[in-house]
Amino acid sequence: MSLLHALPIARRELRGGLAGFRVFLLCLLLGVAAIAGIGTVRAAIEAGLNGEASTLLGGDAEMHFTHRQATEAERTWLAENTLESSEVITFRSMLQARPDSDTTELGLSQVKAVDAAYPLYGSITLEPPMPLAEALAAEQDGLPGLVAHPALIDRLGISVGDTVRLGTQSFTLRAAIIAEPDGSISDLGLGPRVMVRSAALADSGLLTPGTLFESKYRMRLGPNPDLPALQADAESRFEGQGMRWRDSRNGAPGISEVVDRLSSFLVMVGLAGMAVGGVGVSAAVRAYLARKTDTIATLKSFGATRGTIFATYLLQIGALSLLGVGLGLLIGGGIPALLIPLLGEILPVPIETGIYPAPLLEAAIYGLLTALIFSIWPLARAVDISPAELFREVSGKGQHWPRWPYVILVLVLAALLIYLAMRFSGVPMITLWAAIGILAALATLALAATLTRALARRLARARMMRGRPALRLALGSIGGPGFEATSVVLSLGLGLTVLAAIGQIDTNLRTTISQDLPERAPAFFVLDIQKDQIKTFQAAMMADEAVEKVDSAPMLRGTITEINGVNARDVVGDHWVVSGDRGITYSATLPENSTLQAGEWWPEDYDGPPLMSFSAEEAAEIGVKIGDEITANILGRDMTAKIANLRDLTFSDMSINFVMVWSPNALQGAPHTFLSTVYATPGAEGRLLRIMAVDFPNITAIPVRDAIERVSATIDSLGAAIRWGAAATLLTGFVVLIGAAAAGAEARVFEAAVLKTLGASRGRILLSFALRSLILGAAAGLVALLAGSVAAWAVMEYVMSARFSLAWGPAIVIIFGGALANLVAGLGFAWPPLAKKPAQILRNRT
Amino acid sequence: MGKPVLSLNNVQLTLQGNAGPVPILKGISLNVERGESIGLTGPSGSGKSSLLMLMGGLESATGGTITALGQDFATLNEDALARFRRDHMGIVFQSFHLIPTMTALENVATPLELAGDRDAFDKARAELEDVGLGDRTDHYPSQLSGGEQQRVALARAAAPRPDILLADEPTGNLDSTTGETIIDLLFNLRDRHGATLVLVTHASELAARCDRIIELRDGALA
Repeated sequence: MSLLHALPIARRELRGGLAGFRVFLLCLLLGVAAIAGIGTVRAAIEAGLNGEASTLLGGDAEMHFTHRQATEAERTWLAENTLESSEVITFRSMLQARPDSDTTELGLSQVKAVDAAYPLYGSITLEPPMPLAEALAAEQDGLPGLVAHPALIDRLGISVGDTVRLGTQSFTLRAAIIAEPDGSISDLGLGPRVMVRSAALADSGLLTPGTLFESKYRMRLGPNPDLPALQADAESRFEGQGMRWRDSRNGAPGISEVVDRLSSFLVMVGLAGMAVGGVGVSAAVRAYLARKTDTIATLKSFGATRGTIFATYLLQIGALSLLGVGLGLLIGGGIPALLIPLLGEILPVPIETGIYPAPLLEAAIYGLLTALIFSIWPLARAVDISPAELFREVSGKGQHWPRWPYVILVLVLAALLIYLAMRFSGVPMITLWAAIGILAALATLALAATLTRALARRLARARMMRGRPALRLALGSIGGPGFEATSVVLSLGLGLTVLAAIGQIDTNLRTTISQDLPERAPAFFVLDIQKDQIKTFQAAMMADEAVEKVDSAPMLRGTITEINGVNARDVVGDHWVVSGDRGITYSATLPENSTLQAGEWWPEDYDGPPLMSFSAEEAAEIGVKIGDEITANILGRDMTAKIANLRDLTFSDMSINFVMVWSPNALQGAPHTFLSTVYATPGAEGRLLRIMAVDFPNITAIPVRDAIERVSATIDSLGAAIRWGAAATLLTGFVVLIGAAAAGAEARVFEAAVLKTLGASRGRILLSFALRSLILGAAAGLVALLAGSVAAWAVMEYVMSARFSLAWGPAIVIIFGGALANLVAGLGFAWPPLAKKPAQILRNRT
Repeated sequence: MGKPVLSLNNVQLTLQGNAGPVPILKGISLNVERGESIGLTGPSGSGKSSLLMLMGGLESATGGTITALGQDFATLNEDALARFRRDHMGIVFQSFHLIPTMTALENVATPLELAGDRDAFDKARAELEDVGLGDRTDHYPSQLSGGEQQRVALARAAAPRPDILLADEPTGNLDSTTGETIIDLLFNLRDRHGATLVLVTHASELAARCDRIIELRDGALA
């Protein structure tokens, strides 16, 4: 019945226009548009990836091996089951420019050795334009061809026609690689691409047993291939031989994962924006209902029940929410559709323009739930007060808590919102923590707003404030009755908290990577040192005066396939330890950078069944313990060892560390190479690289400084994307600020009129208004800095396992930014009160 | 007789309404002597409150001259008028017009602070005690009754010891008993501090307590 009564009243009330709801609409619109926009771009990229899956994968399906090429049996299977197959071998190596000259130089590269069938799908673009076959072929001079990424060509200062060397094999640089159909983000690794014919590497000395390389066998299949059946057949035939399968059902898992993770994170930033918008929604509803006090009182005095009043205004808010959400969807779904063609030019992934209903629906649900959650509270309070109380001119009314059914409704809706966000994001636990973080930040800010008001009230009455009327007036109005202070601290504070957290994490990560690490990190990681080279290599390095220390360890790679006889992925899911091949070493003694946490180290001459030491942290994460059996596929063979002990490791100083250390008797007979870290004084890198190039041409040296620069560049791009997301949150916060300032404008007009009557000049009133905005903004900034820093500390400490220290630069920017943002919003509304004559205001106010 | 405290010469006020200019005051000439109390009466819409606003410099006359304590209002800009009120005037409104974000004490102390009085709060407290609100100093206007709010407004107007007290229907929003108390307080303050009083009122018995009654009809002196 309430609804029947409420509908016509709500319709009539809405005829009054949307004047009081601009902030409400803008907050919803911005939040929904941001989330819909992020979702649409993600969907467009996913659609693009699916459409180009075979090209991105390089075939309809792919068999993938580590450390080895396919066996005869595997090649026969390929020949029998495919129309055509292509072998691609990838590994890291040093490309040597100007070999045998004094100016020789080395550049780390990601080598891709291909056969004549490559590429099965798509085409490679070279500069100068030529077919790949021509570019890689051997010419009359006998040297085979090589093509390289322009970044490497620039860096080494070489040009087309120059002779370069990989290992002991010389090549002629024929062209630069402009576009590679199957080059994905995950393939870029630590060096730019170099491409050669596989056959040309036969004499390079690079692909010896134990060398770190991967081989991929891409397949061209007939139309509509039965991929699941083919995968099942291959996996059952080659079980336990280290074969991994990928096919065009998920052609670019690396890119998909990056896009998924980044967009999930951005959606969470978007949800923080929605929460800020929610504060604006709540403030707008409260202000609207305050203006409707007389109407509500009148309706109640004529017999409208609490339910009718609630339904009347909920219907209005619902209608306006639909409008705000609809506009948000239009912008969020529409703008990416317009921008995607431009994005396609920038992003190295295919993008398919279109309207995608799923992300729009997701954004709409978030928007409507947020509007409801933040509207019900003020609505429930307004309908709960008696007509007599409403008729009385008492400010600060309706401060009580709503009745419990409304509180439960708000909690249920909030839980539903969090549950749906967990479902939609695909990273439920991270989303849950983010939601807890947002709620904690809101609670902290609400508490901070209360404390700020109490402190302002106390300060306003302090003896030291006497004789400073402008400041006392500012403090008095912050601490006095009214909602402006709470709205400002909540909205600006939450926006700034997100920005402060991102700023602190970003700066701390950069400091860790670019300053802390180089102080402690080695100058080089050196891979692929053969058994017979290791002693000479160590001696050659130590002979150079710049070298302080050389650490070495045997190195194999393997994939954990089973835990206690059960498929590892079934046991621990997608944890990184089981998601790909990992470095494995063996040692008779406890490695230098480790401490034993549990169990016993094996005797130096141990010769029993294989034993293993496992990293304690990772063991806890995947739930394995001493006595468990781990099976790893190493060089195509499944090998099992029992966990004998757990170690604590330090990864942060980039010293040699392995999650798994085996007892020597298990692995030392297997073909393997050595990994070394070379610690040297800065500036000696070039000389050391030249020594390595001349005396050990097969090894791969990764300069840590280069790696750090690459990681920094990645952080730059991720940081830019995240800062854009945070900027949307801040923009919503600013809209709420403007809303709060607009809501307080009438009160300021009156205040200014009375103060003028009492003898205050316009300058003094303006100063008081400005101080009020500055103090509130700075308070919001300060609280945001505290909350953001706590969040950043938690991320650095528990996610990144790195040191946290407060970055003062971004901190000061946050506090000043908060003060300035509120000052701008406040002063925008300060002039009209000053311009009006007191009589105009006071005459009309009874 | 000395120089008048307030002198109005052919004062006119025309406001812009939706249907065009509306003449509110049509050439008022009037002198108020120091210490005198004037009861300004007349029916609703006769221009009483507008005249009071002009006397307080809260509104600018569209014609004629207004001089207070020898100072021609036409020569003063808005800030100078504010300073003049700060130094010489106290105003009491029908709707009290207390600042809702300030306590009673802060409301009363504000004009004293604006005048740079270092003892603003002590004087404000004494003034509140004078009007019987010594125990409500920390209350916000929303926590006070209408009568109490008007007493705070009276204390605020009287605290700086103004030369001129302007009161615009100070009992208009109050019941008769509370209204009487307020008027007693108003005259008390005026008697104690010797201020000139201009009281706008509908009630003839209140006007009768003044030294002189001036009646307005349709924007002109009756």
